[in-house]
Amino acid sequence: MRISIEDVHFVYPGGVEALRGVSLSIEPGERVAIVGQNGAGKTTLVKHLNGLLRPTRGRVRIGDWDTAQVEVHRLAQRVGYVFQNPDGQLFCRTVAEEVAFGPRNLGYTPEEISQRVAEALALAELEDKAEANPYDLSPSWRKMVALASVIAMDTPIVIFDEPTTGQDVRTIRRIERMIEMLSQRGKTILTITHDIDFCAENFERVVVMGQGRVLLDGPKEMVLGMEAILAQTYVEPPQLTRLGMRLGFEKTVCTSEQFLETLRRRLDHPQSDPRAEG
Amino acid sequence: MVERLSFYLERSSPLHRLNPTTKLVVAFTLILVAFLGPGLLLPSLIFLLILTPLSFVGQVGREFLRTTVRLLLPLFAFLFVMQSLFYPGGKTVLFGFWIFSVKLEGVRFAFLTATRVLVMVSSFLLLLFTTHPGVLLLDLTQRGLPASVAYILASTLQIIPQMQAKAATILDAQRSRGLDTSGSLGRRIRALLPLVGPLVFGSLVDVEERAIAIEARGFRSSRPKTSLVEIEDRPLERALRWLCLLAIILALGSRLWP
Repeated sequence: MRISIEDVHFVYPGGVEALRGVSLSIEPGERVAIVGQNGAGKTTLVKHLNGLLRPTRGRVRIGDWDTAQVEVHRLAQRVGYVFQNPDGQLFCRTVAEEVAFGPRNLGYTPEEISQRVAEALALAELEDKAEANPYDLSPSWRKMVALASVIAMDTPIVIFDEPTTGQDVRTIRRIERMIEMLSQRGKTILTITHDIDFCAENFERVVVMGQGRVLLDGPKEMVLGMEAILAQTYVEPPQLTRLGMRLGFEKTVCTSEQFLETLRRRLDHPQSDPRAEG
Repeated sequence: MVERLSFYLERSSPLHRLNPTTKLVVAFTLILVAFLGPGLLLPSLIFLLILTPLSFVGQVGREFLRTTVRLLLPLFAFLFVMQSLFYPGGKTVLFGFWIFSVKLEGVRFAFLTATRVLVMVSSFLLLLFTTHPGVLLLDLTQRGLPASVAYILASTLQIIPQMQAKAATILDAQRSRGLDTSGSLGRRIRALLPLVGPLVFGSLVDVEERAIAIEARGFRSSRPKTSLVEIEDRPLERALRWLCLLAIILALGSRLWP
C-alpha cells in the first residue's frame, strides 16, 4: 500500500508550526527510517499517517484513502502504530489477550484472531510468556508485548516510534529480527529513531527532518554521507561511516559488511588507493 | 508537542511578579468577603471591578474569562432553574406557567450563590494562571508550611493537567489499535476499560517514581533547606496583606453586628 504525503503543513493548537511543507512518497515494502533532532516534527509527521493528526494544509493518502476523511479506528486496518511507551496501552490480564485486542477491534473471525496472535507472539519471541500478566514482565519484554500487539493487526504498514530507546542489545537484536521478518512478508516499515547504528544496519532509505521540513531523503549510502547537512539537525553519521570517510573511502559505508568489503578490496589492490600513491 | 502541566501561563506582568503568598492572601480575602460581606451585589462587584480588571493587568484576561465561563455556565444554569422554582418559602411570584412558578426569593438566592461561587472559582483561577505552582509552594514552605502539606497541595494542583496529557496519549495508542470510541452508549462503556486501565496503573507507577525522586532529594531530611530561587517580598505587599486581614475582619463584623 502506497503512502503519499503531499505538501503537508501542521500547526498545533498552541500555534507551534510543527510541519512546514513535507512531501514524501513511500512505496509498498520499503523500509524507511526517519531521523532528526528533537522537535524536528518526526512524531507529528507519522501521527498523520494513521489519522491521529490531520494536516492543517496538504494531504496524506494511504492507498486510496485520504486520512482526513477516514476515522482513526478504520485507518488501523492499514497502518499499525507502536507508541514509544508500552505502558500507555497495556491493560489486559494476559499477554495473549493483550495481543488479541487489536485484531478483535478490526473484526477478524476467532480463527483468524488466534492465528494472528500466534504469529505475532512468535515474531516477538513471546510464545512462552503468552499467559503471563504484561505487568509482571520486565520493561523490555513489555515493549515486545506492545510490538506484538500491533503486529498482530497484520497491517500492510507498520510504524515504530523509537523502538530501541532504553533497550539492551539482546532486545534490539530481537526487534531487528522482527523487522526483517515483517519486511520479508512485504510490509512497509517506518521507524523514528535516534539510534543511528540501528538505522544504518536495518533500513535502506533514510529521511532526515529538521525544523518541520525534510532536509534529506534517499538511500542510506547517500544520506548518511552528508555530514554537514546531518549536523544541522544534530545527527551524526554512524561511527563506521565516519571511519570510512577518514580512511578516504570513495563510497559511503553504512554497515560492517560494507566496511569490511571496501577495506578488503583496498588491501587487495593497494595501487587503486589514491593516498597509497602519494 | 507542548504539554501543559499546570494552569500557569507564562507572561511578564506586574501580577506575575507579585509575591505568591500575597496573591494567595488576596484570593482568600476576596472569597471570604464575598461570602461574609453584606449586600446582594457585593460578589458580582468583586468579580467585575476587581478580578476581571486584575486578570487583564496579568495579561491573562481572555483565558480567564473563557475558562471561568466554561467551568461555571452549566452549574449556573442548573442553579437558577432549581432555586427559582423550588426555593422554600418563596412568596413573591414573578411569573408562572403550568404548575410551576418562578419566585423572586429563589432568583435572589440563586444569584447570590452563583456570584459567590463565581468569586471563589475565578479568584483561584487567576491565582493559578499567574503563579507558577512551584514558586507558590516554595514560598509557602519557606514561610513554615510543612513540606508534606506542600507536596499534597502541589500534586493536587498538577494532577489534572498531567492526567489529561497521559489520557490523551493512551487514547491515541488505543485508537491506533482500532478502538472505536464513538457510537452507542454500550460501545463507549466497553471502550472505557482499555483507557482507564493504563491510566490508573500508570498513575500508580508515577506516584512511586515521584516518591523515590523526592526522597532522593532529601524530602524527609529535617535540616533547613536552601533554595536557588529567591522570591521577592516587598514591604508594600506586606502592608497589602495586613489590609486584607482588615477587610476580612470588617466583613466578619458586618455579619456579626448587622
